[in-house]
Amino acid sequence: MKKTLFLSIALLATLSASAQKLISRDTYVHFFSETPVEDIEASLKDGVGLINTANNEFVFQVTIQSFTFEKALMQEHFNENYMESTKYPKGLFKGAIKGEVNFAKPGTYAVKLEGTMTIHGKDRGMTVPATISVTKEGLVNLESTFIVKPGDHDIEIPSLVVTKIAKEIEVKVKSTLRAS
Amino acid sequence: MRVKHLYALLGLLILPLVSWAQDDLLAELDAIAPPPPKAYVYATFKGTRVINQQSVELPAAGVGQFVIGHRFGALNDQPLYNLFGLDVAQIRFEYSYSPVKWLNVGAGRSSGSKTYDGFAKVRFTRQSSGSGFNWPVTTAYYTNATMVTTPFSDGFDHYFTDRMAYTHQFLVARKFNEAFSFQIAPTLVHFNLVEKATDKNDRLGIAFGGRYKLTQRMALTGEYMLRADRGAWENDPYANALSIGVDIETGGHVFQFHLTNARSMADPQWMMQTPGQWGKGDIFLGFNITRVFTHVAPEL
Repeated sequence: MKKTLFLSIALLATLSASAQKLISRDTYVHFFSETPVEDIEASLKDGVGLINTANNEFVFQVTIQSFTFEKALMQEHFNENYMESTKYPKGLFKGAIKGEVNFAKPGTYAVKLEGTMTIHGKDRGMTVPATISVTKEGLVNLESTFIVKPGDHDIEIPSLVVTKIAKEIEVKVKSTLRAS
Repeated sequence: MRVKHLYALLGLLILPLVSWAQDDLLAELDAIAPPPPKAYVYATFKGTRVINQQSVELPAAGVGQFVIGHRFGALNDQPLYNLFGLDVAQIRFEYSYSPVKWLNVGAGRSSGSKTYDGFAKVRFTRQSSGSGFNWPVTTAYYTNATMVTTPFSDGFDHYFTDRMAYTHQFLVARKFNEAFSFQIAPTLVHFNLVEKATDKNDRLGIAFGGRYKLTQRMALTGEYMLRADRGAWENDPYANALSIGVDIETGGHVFQFHLTNARSMADPQWMMQTPGQWGKGDIFLGFNITRVFTHVAPEL
């Protein structure tokens, strides 16, 4: 009897520990640069995300070379000339969720993500709005749309193409996180 | 006994707590994130050609590429009268398409000897970095069949096949760092018809090509075709083709400007039948302009 109790408590403890982490391995990230001359967009589907529900800390990471463009040559230029993805292979957003959210209770929560965005090896503090919806099945959907400025991350845009690349690039993130 | 149990219980309860407390979310992310996918080297060369020589680059899958090549007249041919050759030019058009990422097929027409050609490039290995086995080089096979359509002037009857020549090259290239890439290409050219009975139909050579990036959008290029049988027969009139150039990239275009002693742009001709010599000033200013067209775009 005692042994059963002991085991079940131990088991519960482990379960509750693992439930503290929400994980996504297929986060979708899309960006869009709009100018009168040219629209440029790219996306990836293999971003990785992690939320610690105990303290509401989060981290999202993408592999820059995973971004797929409509035009293959743009993708090469993006990697070679702008993002220098050999030197800076990852993009990262790390911080804490601000605002009320209950991962145990189904519902939709409007929150803010406050943290540091690292792109092209350059850190920048960011606070962006996000919507977190918890489904009845316990899945956590996170959606956020925000603006990234290439200039903030030391991404140089030569005068030759300055009319083709927007100063403000809209980034959309869609992530479904599950308990690990 | 009971106390022991209690400690064990406490320990088990505390363990997960400890593991939350000391974790760095980022370190944990590295643990759960899939191992970094193999990173393939991109842009070993800016263009699918170094200058005249094909590079290991192929247009991406679903992408077509139009190339216009120009070679002006010789700098030493009445330079002031012909404005350093700008008054006369040979031109080449070519269009190629990559149905899949490892294959490119195309056709072209060069005005020198009014030569038509069809070609294919197949990529075998890609230089990469990451976990597991990585190829240190990118390799490809390039083949080209040309047909000369100028009339024969020797008064004999000729078979149609006398107009044909075939080129085979095995391309091996390595991007040593962000700036420097180098390529070696063993070459076999077969001429169905040669000028003299003593000439060989099969000609061997090795093509060397390199590029050095000066800025993000500009690179120096150079190439040399070392003919294995140069001077192997009497009065061999042909030199080795040597070209130096600059690649300039502007979004969808690549501009390649160069100086070369090879005026013809058809493969068998520039490789094995280059009469011009740098030492004598038989130098031609030329350019290639490349424009890509996306026929099949990936879904975003």
